[in-house]
Amino acid sequence: MNDLGEFALQLAFATTLYGCVCYIMAARGNRIDLYLSADKTPLLVWGFVMVASICLWKAFLTNDFSVEYVWAYSNTQQNFFYKFASFWGGQKGSLLFWTLILTSYMAVVHYQNRTRNLMLVPYAMTVMLVMTLFFLGLLNFSTNPFERIPLPPEDGRGLNPLLQNYWMVIHPPTLYFGYVGFTVPFAFAIAALITKNLDDGWIRLTRKWALISWFFLAMGNLFGAQWAYVELGWGGYWAWDPVENAAFMPLIVATAYLHSVMIQEKKDMMKVWNMSLILLTFVMTIFGTFITRSGLIQSVHTFDEATLGFIFLGFLVVIVAFCVFLIVKRLPLLKGKNELDSFLSRESSFLFNNLVLLGIGFATFWGTVFPILSEAVRGVKITVGPPFYNQVNVPIGLALLALIGIGPIIAWRRATFSNLRKSFLKPLTVMLVAGVALFPMVPLSSKSEIYTYITFMLCAFVVTTIVIEFYKGSKARMSLHGGTFIQELGSLVWRNKRRYGGYTVHLGVVLIFAGIAGSSSYSVETQKHIQKGETIEIADFELLYNGLGVTEQSNIKTRVIATLDVLKNGKKIWVSHPEKEFYKEQNQPVSEVSLLSTWKEDLYVILADFNPDDESATFKIHVNPMVSWLWYGQWIMAFGTIICMWPDRQEQRRRLERMKKQQAIFVAAQE
Amino acid sequence: MNFVHFIELLFILMILILVGLPLFGKYSGKRLFSDPDANLEEYKHLQVRKEEVLLSIKELEFDFKTDKLSQVDYDEMRAKLEREAVGILERMDGLEKLGRKTKKSAAQVST
Repeated sequence: MNDLGEFALQLAFATTLYGCVCYIMAARGNRIDLYLSADKTPLLVWGFVMVASICLWKAFLTNDFSVEYVWAYSNTQQNFFYKFASFWGGQKGSLLFWTLILTSYMAVVHYQNRTRNLMLVPYAMTVMLVMTLFFLGLLNFSTNPFERIPLPPEDGRGLNPLLQNYWMVIHPPTLYFGYVGFTVPFAFAIAALITKNLDDGWIRLTRKWALISWFFLAMGNLFGAQWAYVELGWGGYWAWDPVENAAFMPLIVATAYLHSVMIQEKKDMMKVWNMSLILLTFVMTIFGTFITRSGLIQSVHTFDEATLGFIFLGFLVVIVAFCVFLIVKRLPLLKGKNELDSFLSRESSFLFNNLVLLGIGFATFWGTVFPILSEAVRGVKITVGPPFYNQVNVPIGLALLALIGIGPIIAWRRATFSNLRKSFLKPLTVMLVAGVALFPMVPLSSKSEIYTYITFMLCAFVVTTIVIEFYKGSKARMSLHGGTFIQELGSLVWRNKRRYGGYTVHLGVVLIFAGIAGSSSYSVETQKHIQKGETIEIADFELLYNGLGVTEQSNIKTRVIATLDVLKNGKKIWVSHPEKEFYKEQNQPVSEVSLLSTWKEDLYVILADFNPDDESATFKIHVNPMVSWLWYGQWIMAFGTIICMWPDRQEQRRRLERMKKQQAIFVAAQE
Repeated sequence: MNFVHFIELLFILMILILVGLPLFGKYSGKRLFSDPDANLEEYKHLQVRKEEVLLSIKELEFDFKTDKLSQVDYDEMRAKLEREAVGILERMDGLEKLGRKTKKSAAQVST
């Protein structure tokens, strides 16, 4: 099977190369026979990559340690899920997984466009095939996942214990679905630039793709935060680690893009800006893989055998140069005919939102690359840590939060101060009331606490504007259609999925902001070495240590489990079991956090150290307020995005009507 | 020849058949798309613009009903959008006439 997998990758490479050449020749020579020939390649390539992937999965599931990659990331004791997930646990497999997702997306794009957009599709498919070719080139000539060991060992090294968590099955694929998904809008943007079809056709074609990719990227980031929170054992969920930043930056740029394309669709302007944003988003996804695989940056996320830095850097430079060249060449065609009607309009608020988002993106980018640049230029590696990011990004983040609230209040095209005063009155009143109510309850002794206080006030402001939007919209529909409030609310959302789905996403974002603010400022922690029968007090909690237990779990690991009774106001509310796990053939023990999570706060208990002789132990305990708000916010965001993505029959109908009319009037019309 | 080799051979044959057949089929030498018709391209663009302007008028009404716009601004913006819509419709009418004429003459040539 390994031979077959290797052969399938070689065939995939050759077929991809043929597809690239054939699509280009078909488009340039306007030849349908070449197009029909090239047209088979996306499915063939997907099939071969799938065969290779099945072969690698089979090697994992059957403990075939003759394959070096399987030996490095699995062992006989690993359970099914981790064997399955080990596929993307290392560099070689993760590249194959990336290629599998890319070719799957390509197959779907091919199916969607098999009989339409015949001017754009050959170029878009070529771009996607070139991306595939790059990854298949790596898999065939540099990082072969089927590389053999001449004398296969009896057992493997196993997956890194930190990765042996259920999030390993969820987080990386989610993130990859997001990263790779942006190849589709990128490919169509490049195709539009090449073919000079520079109206908003490519945006409409890829709107869902951009949204789906954004959704996966956002979920991937938040799943990663949850994983870090429960597995890494330092009490937090985000550390501004370079690889976290690498996943965060495309999300930020893509968010700016999703907002600004609305202006192009409405007003046929900002073409250069939108084109640049989507190209930048894609560049950021490749930059993310460069960071993870370059070996330049040390992080818990980077791959052990990260050696592909220069190859990815070269690829990145080529992409950037090609994008800049195309944009400059097409600049005269990208100039918009319309202008903003007024500085005071929703369009302007979107522009500010874009600037603020790009500000956050740039600050994060600068903090990420600065250590690399300082080492390259001065030979000294200067670490940029959370204080830098917090100092720069928190105030910009607050401006963003304010804009989330301001945007919906302002009318499209033009607003006046008198109407704004009226619209702002209620949200500002609620914000001030919230400020007054919170003032005696929250400490304001540090900059961070003041920022948190402002965040809470702004959250109240934004939630009020969103609630008012839903309320006023439903009321307006009631006066027009006479239905009940609930009926009209439902129909309001259903008929304007993009707008009200977006507001729902904003509600989720508000919860995330509140969660970040609360947990960053009001967390308390303590670390104490205690004997059996002693207690630790923290916030309202009292933890009584009852001793240690040792459990052998099969041949993989030994678990040392502490038991602590958790009391609140003298009443026992929970039993905590923090653990230390000792994996065979691994030097470092792994801490398993014991977590009591409520909407108000998380009690986070870590067994930091222990003495088996007298059963004394060191515990690190955090009380993190409002962390669960982040996870609630995440699901609300997901719900809102699903509303936005839900198929719109009216739009489909309009598209068909447009095509029908074109066919009735013009010769050989097609869309 | 073992089973794996047989599958590999099948893969190669599959590629050659799927990719090769269209090159020798009935479509050989035919064109993938007709020459871009500038009128049709403009018409397509205007169709979308028309929808967007009509949607903008609806949104303007909605913004007015939800108190985000003053009467003066509403009237002014509405008049502006209506002018834009009329301009688009007039241009579309012109393009439709041209399109029909071209199609008719193309049909006469083919008969």
